[in-house]
Amino acid sequence: MAVTLTPADRAVTPRPPRPARDRHHRGASRWIVLTLVTLGALAMLVPFAFMLLNAFKSPGDYSTGGPLSWPSEFYTKGLRTYWTEVDFPVKLWNSALIAGSVAVLGVVVSLLNAYALGIGRVRGRLWIVGLFLLANMLPQESLIYPLYYVAKEIGLYNTRLSVIIIFTVIQSAFGTYLLASVMSTFPRSLLEAAALDGAGRWTVLWRVVFPNLRPTLAVLLIFFFIWTWNEFLIPLVMLIDNSTQTIPVALASLQGDRLMDAPTTNAGSLISLVPAVLFFLIFQRTLARGITAGAEK
Amino acid sequence: MGRIRNLVAAVAVAAIATTTVAACGGDDGGDGSDAKTLKLWHYESANSAMGVAWDRAIQIFKDEHPGVEVQFERKAFEQIQQNAGMIINSSEGPDVMEYNKGNATAGLLSSQGLLTDLTDEAGKRGWADKLSPSLQTTARYSDKGVMGSGNWYGVPNYGEYVMVYYNKDLFDKYGVKVPTTLDEMTAAMDTFVGKGVTPLAEAGAEYPAGQLFYQLALSKADRAFVDDYQLYKNPVDFHADPLKYGADTFADWVRKGYVAKDSASLKAEDMGTAFISGKAPMIVSGSWWYGRFKSEIKFNWDSFLFPGNKLQAGSSGNLWVVPANSKAKSLAYDFIDITLRPEIQDLIGNNGGVPVAGDPSKISDPKDRKLIENFNTVSQQDGLAFYPDWPVPGYYDVLVAGFQGLINGSKSPDQVLDTIAKPYADGVKEITGK
Repeated sequence: MAVTLTPADRAVTPRPPRPARDRHHRGASRWIVLTLVTLGALAMLVPFAFMLLNAFKSPGDYSTGGPLSWPSEFYTKGLRTYWTEVDFPVKLWNSALIAGSVAVLGVVVSLLNAYALGIGRVRGRLWIVGLFLLANMLPQESLIYPLYYVAKEIGLYNTRLSVIIIFTVIQSAFGTYLLASVMSTFPRSLLEAAALDGAGRWTVLWRVVFPNLRPTLAVLLIFFFIWTWNEFLIPLVMLIDNSTQTIPVALASLQGDRLMDAPTTNAGSLISLVPAVLFFLIFQRTLARGITAGAEK
Repeated sequence: MGRIRNLVAAVAVAAIATTTVAACGGDDGGDGSDAKTLKLWHYESANSAMGVAWDRAIQIFKDEHPGVEVQFERKAFEQIQQNAGMIINSSEGPDVMEYNKGNATAGLLSSQGLLTDLTDEAGKRGWADKLSPSLQTTARYSDKGVMGSGNWYGVPNYGEYVMVYYNKDLFDKYGVKVPTTLDEMTAAMDTFVGKGVTPLAEAGAEYPAGQLFYQLALSKADRAFVDDYQLYKNPVDFHADPLKYGADTFADWVRKGYVAKDSASLKAEDMGTAFISGKAPMIVSGSWWYGRFKSEIKFNWDSFLFPGNKLQAGSSGNLWVVPANSKAKSLAYDFIDITLRPEIQDLIGNNGGVPVAGDPSKISDPKDRKLIENFNTVSQQDGLAFYPDWPVPGYYDVLVAGFQGLINGSKSPDQVLDTIAKPYADGVKEITGK
């Protein structure tokens, strides 16, 4: 992750203001790099192009022509079938609720944890951070049965709350690890100055640390949202009613025992992808604003 | 898929560990004849034969039970496949649901006490008389969860079997007749090869290759072999007929070009689309393709039973099961009973499915009728031989790996038989303890 490589404030700056002299440094190597990057970007877009192509193809068309052929008609029934059959608005709301709550809660918990570990410098913090990392590396498969059992015993099985709690913990394990290492490089002089001004721990967190970390937190928020949005296994196990399920689980309902319906699956993926992409685009702007705001100070 | 398999294994282990818990919680379901809701789950798509027929069954149920609310939910296959044990071990589960037949699924749950014993109902309501013996095999499970004998834990509604689908237009074009014996089939394929057409589309990366091998083996097999292989009555020798014949013939077919070498890496979907697009004259696969072929194929096509075989790969379809925690058991029995009525069974048949108790004379489309007549023929002569990957857990991957090697020529038939013999023996030992 790029975020860990540089101090937090710079980490998310997409384009640092380019000095004018760069103009004179153009050489062949720049073009080679540009070509490679363009090719790489195009290669990344190929799967999306396929999805788009096949989302508007009728099943018969797909079976006869294969995934590469140009659709003979503009077929939207796949999209409509998916929308109505899985009751998409409900799933969208569930996914947004779960991913949104997890993103916000996860960032808050990470921030508080990391403040104690990175700036508070509690005893044995290395081990605690290591433990968090370990929790993050555990495969979800090994967690699933204990989680199911506990959720069932305390009556949270088949509720969205159970998934929100689980993912808040899982995501904040990573968040804590990341933020704790970022905060351990936080300029001490800034903290001391604040302490001299008579700021307590709480004030230091909200007035000094938080504003400086805001861009990093925004990135975390976006990651948590998208990771949680795409989660499949735990929602699949914990959410059994159609009224509580998320989009990835709904998408799985298109895959049958022995048969698959490729065009409808593509159509479903397309609809399911749009909200996450929109979310990213919107927050990308907020992110940029946050950075400029920081720069003015 | 690896992740998912691991999960299934982990869940299975954990579920066995808590069997005692499950057994304690199993009795509070009661008869529930005064229940006012029926929670019903299945995972067939709305426009499939079963989806259509069962919608009608729900309607009939509602008409006959005024005042009872039916909470129907269509589920993802994968969700039921992976989580059924956890779901029905909680209070959030359904009262009646569709579930996969077989030892690793319905058998496992029944041995854990999570499913209701339906033996009494099967006798009382005449389900036992409607289903032929080879269909009942997948409905009954021993206390170890091995199918074939013991109590009823599920009721099948539809059947499935492996057949040969063929492209009539291509058969006419090359002057090939529908074969009735294996020799005629070989001759027909020679004709195609002679004209530069690969006669048989195959898929080495998924179930089709294993099923073709099994069909070939079954041409030399009898019911005793099936009982040995599937129900562990006696040890199976992989280096003797019929399995040896199956592997040798398969290798022969690859060598002669009946099956393309590059199909080793293809998936079932690729095989199906090769047939739908009219490139392949024949495929050997199951009745689950039928509905899709009917709606998507534009040329003339039809099907015939694998020539010469008395035994065919096939079985009952998935089962209706009643979880032990069901709060409306008697309503669940009523619903299952409705799905076995002639009206619903004929509806399955008329929508391109294979009813278990269907009457071909009630089926209007001639192609549909033939599908069902063929199934009834197989079922009545006790000819359903199940599937090659059923006997032991995890055997599907073993078969895929083995026959991929056979198709691409990296393994000889003997080597393939070696690779598939050991996991089978180990698995059977695990189950029977012998």
